Amino acid sequence: MSDGLVRILDGNTFVVSDARGDIEASPTDPTGLFSFDTRFLSRWVLTVNGERLNPLSVDDLQYFETRFFLVPGTGTVYVDAKLSVIRQRTVGNGFQEELTILNHLDEPVELSVRVDTGCDFADLFEVKDALEKKGKYSERVEGDKLVLAYDRETFGRSTAISASTPAQIDKHGLTFKIRIGPHDKWSTRLDVVTERLGVGQARDAIDDPNRSQVRMRANLQHWIDEAPRLECDWEPLKATYRRSLVDLAALRFSPPIAGGHSLPAAGLPWFMTMFGRDSILTSLQALPFTPELAATTLRALGDWQGVGLDDFRDEDPGRILHEMRYGELTAFEERPHSPYYGSADATPLYVVLLDEYERWTGDRALVRELEAEARAALNWIDEYADLQGTGYIWYKRRNEQTGLENQCWKDSWDSISFRDGRLPGFPRATCELQGYAYDAKLRGARLARLVWEDTTLAGRLEQEAADLKRRFNRDFWVEDRQYYALALDPDGNQVDALASNNGHLLWSGIVEKSKANAVARHLLGPRLFSGWGVRTLAEGQGRYNPIGYHVGTVWPFDNSFIAWGLRRYGFKEDAAVIAAGILDAAQFFDGRLPEAFGGYERPQTMYPVQYPTACSPQAWSTGAPLLLLRTMLGLEPYEEHLVVEPALPIAIGHLELLDIPGRWGRIDAFGRGRVEVDRS
Amino acid sequence: MRTDATAEFFDELASRRHEPLLRKVTGSARFDVVAGERTERWWVTIDKGEIRVSRGNGAADSVLRASKASFDRVAAGELNLMAAVLRGEVAIEGDPRLLVRLQRLFPRPGEQAQQRAAGSAGREE
Repeated sequence: MSDGLVRILDGNTFVVSDARGDIEASPTDPTGLFSFDTRFLSRWVLTVNGERLNPLSVDDLQYFETRFFLVPGTGTVYVDAKLSVIRQRTVGNGFQEELTILNHLDEPVELSVRVDTGCDFADLFEVKDALEKKGKYSERVEGDKLVLAYDRETFGRSTAISASTPAQIDKHGLTFKIRIGPHDKWSTRLDVVTERLGVGQARDAIDDPNRSQVRMRANLQHWIDEAPRLECDWEPLKATYRRSLVDLAALRFSPPIAGGHSLPAAGLPWFMTMFGRDSILTSLQALPFTPELAATTLRALGDWQGVGLDDFRDEDPGRILHEMRYGELTAFEERPHSPYYGSADATPLYVVLLDEYERWTGDRALVRELEAEARAALNWIDEYADLQGTGYIWYKRRNEQTGLENQCWKDSWDSISFRDGRLPGFPRATCELQGYAYDAKLRGARLARLVWEDTTLAGRLEQEAADLKRRFNRDFWVEDRQYYALALDPDGNQVDALASNNGHLLWSGIVEKSKANAVARHLLGPRLFSGWGVRTLAEGQGRYNPIGYHVGTVWPFDNSFIAWGLRRYGFKEDAAVIAAGILDAAQFFDGRLPEAFGGYERPQTMYPVQYPTACSPQAWSTGAPLLLLRTMLGLEPYEEHLVVEPALPIAIGHLELLDIPGRWGRIDAFGRGRVEVDRS
Repeated sequence: MRTDATAEFFDELASRRHEPLLRKVTGSARFDVVAGERTERWWVTIDKGEIRVSRGNGAADSVLRASKASFDRVAAGELNLMAAVLRGEVAIEGDPRLLVRLQRLFPRPGEQAQQRAAGSAGREE
């Protein structure tokens, strides 16, 4: 890991430690054991005879398991290895740590082995924002267990720590007084168990069943075996593909309501939870590889679909949630994430995913099962999202304290601007939202005809889509610059910055054929295309900054959808150029694409500069290589068949994707690189 | 000031008979509402959206337990059920999936249960 931190995770439980395996978290630092958005351990420091240990190596065995090789003493020129210490840590319901000490001497040693413990029970939001705690802490020794607890009224969280061999336990840790014979070893197993208790000591609803390590290993192998196999002349792509599959497995999250099925959480460390937008887009990217993610995403988000008007949560009937959280601030309604609905794109994208899922899998039963949810989502677009009554999706938060200002994927405060850098007022109608609405209506119409047998609805949706496309191309097209405006402001003026959102418009199909070439030339032109990928905001715009979160960086996920959009309009060479750039960049991150990297010109830095606090691994970045593979191979379901129409960069050489699952059973796709790409 | 928001909520729920928001749900839930020494129990069975409410101590797939004061607030739309569960004000045992279905039944802030019922009818095609 580039920051020297070691991360392992299972679902939304994860441990972040230093290279020794120690945790010494400060209030604002994301190290510790986290579960359900709460830190359950902020101090976990191992000493031998009062001395800290020195790391020799760290083996990432699995995403949920790591082994640390350590020796006593720090900072000397040579390591005096009379002892070796091995910590093998596995995440489950908390974590387990197998601690082993080897004595390399010809004589016995007497050791005092100590693990110092402590916990601040911080809510992840507090770690991000450095807030004060309102409850009470306690530590107590209960038999052979040390229990660290935090209580605020009825809210209780605790961590129980125990060992498999005798230990002296005090309120701040465990001490082992041991003797190890010559060339012998000693080991113990430390168990750290997280507890979330409700009224009357009943285990509450957010409990997650303890997953055994054996099952987790078998599960990961099964996951990889089930996914299509990639054969390719270009080794880095194989590595990136494997990395993506493993990371996607790691980022799976089983909400307690999903009955053991999993959907993609958004990303580590901050976003190990259900997100409407991220879960949907990642499921779309992964459809040709792991279609079951989409099914769970659709069901779980459908279960939580809004039913009423709640200003605090920005909830409307039919609206798909933005983000779910389980921590203290959400519990006390100091944050609205139980769940929070402030997303303007998740709802139309929900319908898009349902249709795309059916096109790949032929699973009409799910389309029938989710008919009411899809209808409510379509209804939300016209009934609740058109805040200005102009036939567009607009957003403006009703929760003005803790709601989100920008409810599109570019959700930072300065992401939506005019060319000269001014920020528009609210409500705002960003362009890609209209594209998604258009696509949702057409896809909804297809499902209505095919599965729900409602031709009236289908006809109406098609009519509305055609009308939306006509108006959109009139109102958003910046005639003198030949691209679509980023948004409309509350007065209906064009927010005229040039941004990557144009690529999403191609993906949605809302772009008129006559305008598509101009859009494609902007996307691949020097102001937007950095050589690695398309920048979120074009160089030369008022707020352009190559390391600005949504105003100049390159997002791999964004580029994967842009490439899909280019393909949709027939620009397959351009799609290959973007795929080549992003996949080249992936090599610099060992196949694990970060959330975003700098928008600098490729020849200027020669390597992609990672955005400072970007999440990694992040679900939709993990999904980007998958969607790029689909795009390059030109995979498109057509009735009961899979059409393959490759357009690959030359560097990739020969490529095979074997056993692609879908309504056709399993099918293989082959391609050979023929597209010239400038890679300097 | 209302007299008994919890009782009103269950009376109103019983009068709905069919609730489209629960059309996919079959199961039972018991609400144990604790007022001092006394526990009031409501037993709700759902059969594909057909709702029956009775008083009593039947076995259930999911049991929610809360103080009368807390449950009155949930029933009146003043306290979000999920937040209440997260902070331990409402305890739930049994099938957690039922929780997400049941939370749809409670009014949102400023809403009356009556409006909720009227609004939800629109979801039934």
